[in-house]
Amino acid sequence: MNKRRQLNYILRLLLVFLGMHAVWYVAYLLVHHPMLPSPLDVYQAMGHLGGRDIVLNVGYSLMRIFAGVLLALIVGLLIGLLMGRSALWNKLLDPVVYLTYPVPKIALLPVVMLFFGLGETSKILMIMLILLFQVIISVRDGVKAIPANTYDVLTSIGAGPGQKFWHVTLPGALSVILSTIRISLGTAISVLFFTEIYGTEHGMGFFIMDAWLRLDYPQMYAGILLFSLVGFVLFLLVDLLDYRFMKWRK
Amino acid sequence: MSSSRNNGLCVKELEVEYKSGELALGRVDFTLPEYGIYTILGPSGSGKSTLLRAVSGLLPEYRGELLFNGQSLREQDVLIGLVPQNYGLLPWKTVKSNIRVAMKIANPKGQDRRSQEAQIDRWLSAMGIQELADRYPLSLSGGQQQRVAIARAFAIMPSILLLDEPFSALDAITREVLQQLFLEHWQANPATALFVTHDVDEAILLGQKIIVLPSSKSEAPEIMDNGAVFGLEHGEKRASDAFFDQIKRIRKVMQEKW
Repeated sequence: MNKRRQLNYILRLLLVFLGMHAVWYVAYLLVHHPMLPSPLDVYQAMGHLGGRDIVLNVGYSLMRIFAGVLLALIVGLLIGLLMGRSALWNKLLDPVVYLTYPVPKIALLPVVMLFFGLGETSKILMIMLILLFQVIISVRDGVKAIPANTYDVLTSIGAGPGQKFWHVTLPGALSVILSTIRISLGTAISVLFFTEIYGTEHGMGFFIMDAWLRLDYPQMYAGILLFSLVGFVLFLLVDLLDYRFMKWRK
Repeated sequence: MSSSRNNGLCVKELEVEYKSGELALGRVDFTLPEYGIYTILGPSGSGKSTLLRAVSGLLPEYRGELLFNGQSLREQDVLIGLVPQNYGLLPWKTVKSNIRVAMKIANPKGQDRRSQEAQIDRWLSAMGIQELADRYPLSLSGGQQQRVAIARAFAIMPSILLLDEPFSALDAITREVLQQLFLEHWQANPATALFVTHDVDEAILLGQKIIVLPSSKSEAPEIMDNGAVFGLEHGEKRASDAFFDQIKRIRKVMQEKW
């Protein structure tokens, strides 16, 4: 029963995938200009890319996203927990978060570049900045939403703060954290593209821009497809985590 | 120092205030002998749960003294098993791992893994829920969840067992089954136990003494001996004369004080 539903889902995904290619092909016939190559040409161009090339570019992009997400999670979890568990810290930090949250983080790109140079640090930092505030806010609210009496039994048998964090606070806030990551991942990927335009010779953003400047349109589209694949893989990963850790939610 | 010779849980002039200064629990005084079980009966708002929270160490502030075997309860490491009304299970952990976590925290040096697992299995089958071991609490019925909570409370082998209206959310039949199950296992693994309830029958069925809290915080609670019923076989209690006499007596106290 369940298997059939899964199969159904995959079939639908495939159908949509093919449908999009059909639309693309029709558009290609209508436009009839090198700036929109046919799907076949693009896949051929992708085939010409060496495996090493693909792995290197995709790998760099993934590495930057992972580092940025991880950093945002660590810092955001700490601050969010502090704000969720202590009224004093919440009062102190709430205005800070409130004031900085609406600042479009992408506008800080030049600042981050000035301070941290053109290398990996500024790229990872940008991704972290995009995610950080959302993680802070969702962790804080997630922690606050855990009913106080959830801790009672563990407290009464003498659990320490570390044990309470590990067994109650973290799993209790995990569902909100996962949905935040899912939502902000899209933004993080777009920002990644911007940061890969400069100061690097690897990564999907670089690859796409490079192909564009060389007027190699099939390869440019191949890059866009690969970049989308990176995003897709990341979403699948979040879904996998969700499946693994959210089994308890009926 | 006559109290230092008193074994068991000694509650001396315990009073708890809300932050507003209003009394959450009027003065309570009683001594529960070690391995004894008292039930606490009271209307909502009489401070029943507050009393349990004070004993379980969840309340930072109270007036009066709580002694266990002659020494302050807070200054010694007394293991407390708590069974709250909402079962207190962690929804993100399976039945088994709920019990495992409690055992690990209660007894960090504890047994090796294998004897711990054996212990968990023993308690799950004692409560008749072996087949639920790998399920998550949200997929269980209230009665099943409460069985898990009781298994967990017994599995850590506490010195003091506190039950806060554990069966009040359950239907009548499930409640009776669990009352008997609880009493059987308490008799086999005695711990000093306080059982809070708002159900008169339950208070009479389970307690050696019954502490009736008044609705007014300025009145003293009434402590009633229940030995006549407690001495009977559990199955015979409900039909006995002693049970009906006790109900009448408690109803009278309730009319005066509630």
